[in-house]
Amino acid sequence: MEQVEQLLKRTLPFQVVSPETLGNIAGISQRETFSEGDVIYSAGQSANDVYVLASGRLHHAITPQVNAKIHEKSLNAGDVFGWAAIFEGERIRLADVSCTEPVEVLRIDGTKLLDLLRRDRNFGDAAMRSFSQLISQQYYLPPSVANRVPSTLAAPATTAEEPGEPAAQMASTWTLTMYRAGEWIRSPDPYLMMIGFMLLLGSWYLTVEVFKLPRFEDLPGLTTVVTEWFATDPMYGLSIHTSEYYQHVWVSIRRVAIAFLLATALGVPLGLFLGWSRTFREYVFPVFELLRPIPILAWVPLAIIMFTGSETPVIFLTFLASFFATALNTMLGVESIDESYTRAAYCLGANRWQVFREVIIPGAMPYVFTGLQISVGVAWFSLVAGEMVSGQYGLGYVINTSYTMVRYPTIIIGMVTLGIVGYATSAMVRVAGNYMMQWRLREMALGGR
Amino acid sequence: MAMNRITKIKRSIFSRSSLRAIIAIIVFLVLWECGSRSKEWLGHSLPWIGLVPPPSAVVLVWMDLLGDSGYWESWYLSTMRVMSGFVAAMIIGIPLGLMMAVSRTFNSITFPTFEILRPIPPLAWVPVAIIFWPTEELSIAFVTFLGAFFTVVINVLGGAKAIDMRFYQSAQAMGSSQWDIFRRVVLPATIPSIVVGSSVGMGITWNVVVAAEMISGGGGGTSGTGGGLGFFIWNSYVGGSYEQIVVGMISIGIAGYASSELLRGIGGFFTPWLKTR
Repeated sequence: MEQVEQLLKRTLPFQVVSPETLGNIAGISQRETFSEGDVIYSAGQSANDVYVLASGRLHHAITPQVNAKIHEKSLNAGDVFGWAAIFEGERIRLADVSCTEPVEVLRIDGTKLLDLLRRDRNFGDAAMRSFSQLISQQYYLPPSVANRVPSTLAAPATTAEEPGEPAAQMASTWTLTMYRAGEWIRSPDPYLMMIGFMLLLGSWYLTVEVFKLPRFEDLPGLTTVVTEWFATDPMYGLSIHTSEYYQHVWVSIRRVAIAFLLATALGVPLGLFLGWSRTFREYVFPVFELLRPIPILAWVPLAIIMFTGSETPVIFLTFLASFFATALNTMLGVESIDESYTRAAYCLGANRWQVFREVIIPGAMPYVFTGLQISVGVAWFSLVAGEMVSGQYGLGYVINTSYTMVRYPTIIIGMVTLGIVGYATSAMVRVAGNYMMQWRLREMALGGR
Repeated sequence: MAMNRITKIKRSIFSRSSLRAIIAIIVFLVLWECGSRSKEWLGHSLPWIGLVPPPSAVVLVWMDLLGDSGYWESWYLSTMRVMSGFVAAMIIGIPLGLMMAVSRTFNSITFPTFEILRPIPPLAWVPVAIIFWPTEELSIAFVTFLGAFFTVVINVLGGAKAIDMRFYQSAQAMGSSQWDIFRRVVLPATIPSIVVGSSVGMGITWNVVVAAEMISGGGGGTSGTGGGLGFFIWNSYVGGSYEQIVVGMISIGIAGYASSELLRGIGGFFTPWLKTR
């Protein structure tokens, strides 16, 4: 009995079950011996028993009707065969098994085995899954066969396995998020954050509207700004209920989007080539460096002269700022790639184009996205300057005209809106970057950062 | 040793890459000249570039301006504004960043507020600054301060956050006090990022000062060329002397580049351990 348990413990499906079940299985298994050349069973017979090979060698040939990747296989001590006896539905032998040596086997009744496994609440299911695994991995059979092993769960194995998993995964991410949110709520952080906001807003409210300190009393107060911002009938013509407000926001976003896309489309390839080709860099980079120290905003009058209309100069300025940031960061990204990667690729026979596509571009990606984040930031920065100096519509224009026309609360509305929209766009770039660079996120998570 | 250095310099001047750089810049200037003079030479002006004054004319105008006291006054005024805003940002920003890095509670209170204010571009503050500060000079300095402030704080904080946990732990294990940890671990580890933050901040301050001068209309200038380089550019635009615009742009480029290099040099002096190569 001990020996039988020891043997069962060594097999793939039974190594997981509880000692109690193992004892029960040992109880229902019978030792049998066969001599060389004996056929234990052949394909097409009905399958009643599962076998465990205790000693000797067997030849196992699966019928060609079943789509196995490899049909013939020799079995050694510890191997489990005859698993068709625990299939759901029709139990028919799928293989011919004959002895190449005198063998000793354990014969286990399939129906009784299933019963025992069903009773083992903790490990029965794991044993069933090990059977499917055994069928697909050691006998090279397709999942359609492997999934015929039933599950102890209520649903049949074929449907329970696949749709079940994503659901479980989703539940775990959801619970993880909930857990983190719970932790955050329990930590002092949110309350301290509220204190910070209260300090900022409170000092604004008190200095401007309550104490009316000198200099501060000229500024628009907190309540004035908030009532103006949410008023259905704003005193100065701009609130969340007026269509002009959204028109200004939309114009600004459109300008930034055009400039950003243009800068990315031109800046990323330029940066890649600058980093990739030495000759190209030696010719182009000096001119680039010559123009770069000139502050973007110093281009304003020149932009107005060069481009007609009020729309193009503003877009040009915004583009210029983004372009420099994107191109420079992309170039740095290419330079940051470990020399041995390109060398390895060349050694493995990659040509220049393949190295560019498979090593340079993915290698530079983290820096490119850093560059794009900076680029969105500077785009808003120079957009505001461009809109304040020239241009019609847009949030910078709102801020400037509100000043000249003494609509002070509207200035603050413009500033806050700019902050919100600017933050939202850089968050979008960050999320897109993280999504496209899952490998890097994982790397960083593994590094414990 | 001296010979060696001279040959090294010679080699770097006459190397292939510097030759190519010179060729590239000459080609760029020639293209610019041709583009600008396309109206005279080809009969019709090329788009965009045809409206920009040619480099030769810019150089001539610049030569005249070198003797103009207003031009130098602009240099002086802009530099002073940048310096005052920048120094204020360093004085307030570095301790604030360090405090946020050292104290968790302080960080939790201030960081979210800081992050709410940060996305607002510094130039959007110009009108509010003009309303609030009694003189125009102070309002320009304030906006310049804002430009550098956020960058400095973020860099200091980032530098302190990147410190390896084991440094703290080993310092604590060896019995250092809070002050020792700050003095021997946090401070030296953040100096490189303070240097980076300040040179980036310097770039932003030049940007902001130009725009602030343009928007607020200079002030304090005695002539059309005085009042700050940003005002100089704007005034040249209004006055229609386009060559002067380019002169102003190049001047600001030089000023910004020189001050960033200066900062990098000073930073190198404070971080001698980074000079490994």
